[in-house]
Parts: sequence; structure tokens; C-alpha cells
Amino acid sequence: MTPEPDPLDRLLDRLRDFPEPPGNLKADVRYQIARRSERPAKPGLLGGFDAVFGRPSFAIVFVAACVFLGMFLAEVRLERLNAERGTKIAQSYLRLIDPLMEAKAGKIATPQQ
Amino acid sequence: MKRSFIVLVAGLAAGGLAHFGWYAARANRLPDTGGLEVQMAWMKEELNLSDQQFSEIKTIHEESSPRLLALSAQVARMRAEYAAFEHERATTGQINFIEFAQFVSQRRKVDLECFHWTQRLAVETSRSLTAIQQEHYRKLLAPILKSAPSLSIN
Repeated sequence: MTPEPDPLDRLLDRLRDFPEPPGNLKADVRYQIARRSERPAKPGLLGGFDAVFGRPSFAIVFVAACVFLGMFLAEVRLERLNAERGTKIAQSYLRLIDPLMEAKAGKIATPQQ
Repeated sequence: MKRSFIVLVAGLAAGGLAHFGWYAARANRLPDTGGLEVQMAWMKEELNLSDQQFSEIKTIHEESSPRLLALSAQVARMRAEYAAFEHERATTGQINFIEFAQFVSQRRKVDLECFHWTQRLAVETSRSLTAIQQEHYRKLLAPILKSAPSLSIN
């Protein structure tokens, strides 16, 4: 009784027909491994910063944004300055139309007889 | 890396220059806070006055301000006199009652005149204003109205 042919045997038989690998295959494989291991690692925080700031378009946008931010903050300060100025003018106006204003502020009332 | 650093520093420097430059240029354009002209310009803006209202109110203030300034100087002088009386009383324990009575009488006259001029100015100004402007003006005069409840601007 002959056993049924195993399909794997057929495949193993075909494998013998493959040509011999080139002689420098080993060296080639080692070279490729060495080359891949030399590849730089993923960029870190500094690398990312450098990559972003290195782009000319980003550099222009960044400088322009800094200029606008500076002007915006100056406007905020000016708004506060203007409000203080308004208060000062109001006080000087009150002092002008009411000469007794400072006396009242200084708590010096008209002396009683 | 060097290039990125230069961009960062350039951005910060440009922002700083823009901030201080803009602030200095705009702040220098703001006028001083003293003087009738500045006060009138402020009132025009604050009360949203028309040109005619502004002209009327400016005239009222220009007419009253010399007397008000003179009264203000008189009040300051009398405050100094009062301080001198007080100093004398504290140091010698005595006071010239006749002089003091004259001072009190004069001070009352000045106070009354101040009240009269303030009231007159406020009422005349108020007459040139609309109801909404009058309400706003009343708010501006709140410190005066609070210290002198008998003063009315209507």
C-alpha cells in the first residue's frame, strides 16, 4: 500500500530547482541592515521646532504675527491710558466749576461760629 | 537650528519694536489733561455734543471760568488762613475771635458765591443739552451733587 503523495513534497521538490543565490547576498544584506540603522531617528521637540521655523513661509507669518500682537498690546495699553486721562480731565473739570471741590476733598468744612 | 533661533529672535524684536513704537506714537498725540480747551473737547466727546451745543457750552464756560478761577484762588487762600488760625490755636491756645469771626463771615460769603457760580454754570450748560445728555451730565457732576445736595442743575 503506497501512501498518498504529500503536496508539501511536491513543493520541496520544486525548491531544488531554484538558482543558487549570488555570492554577495550576505554582504548585501549586512550592508542594507547597516544603512537602515544609520537612518536618523524621528525628530524630537527641538527637531520639530527647527523644521517648522526653518520654513521661510512660517518665518514670515511668525514675524508678522509678532508685529500685530505687539501693536494689539499697545492698543490695550493706550485704551487704559485714555480711560485714566478721561478721569483726570473729569476731575479737573469738576475742580474748575466747583472751587470748593478741593476743600470738600480735603475735609475742611466752613468753620462754625 | 541657528536659522530657527534667528527667526524667533527677529519675531520677538519686531513685536517689541512695533509695541513700543506704536504706543509712543499714539500716546504722544494725546493732549494734556488740563485747560479749558481740553476740558471742552472732552465734554464734546463725552456728551456727544453737536457743533451748536458745543459752541453754546463753550461760551458759557468761557464767561464763567475767570470768576471761578478767581474764586478758586480765594478758597485756597482762605484754606491757608484757616490753617494759620488752627496752628495759632494749637500752639498758643488762644485765638483772636474778632479776626476769626471776620474770617468765618468772609468764608461763608465766598462759599455762597462759589455755590451760586457753580449752580449757574451747571444750569446754563444743562439747558443746552437734550434729556439724555442732561442725564449723562448729571452723572459727570455726581461728586459735586453728592457733596452739595441743595445744588440743582435743572
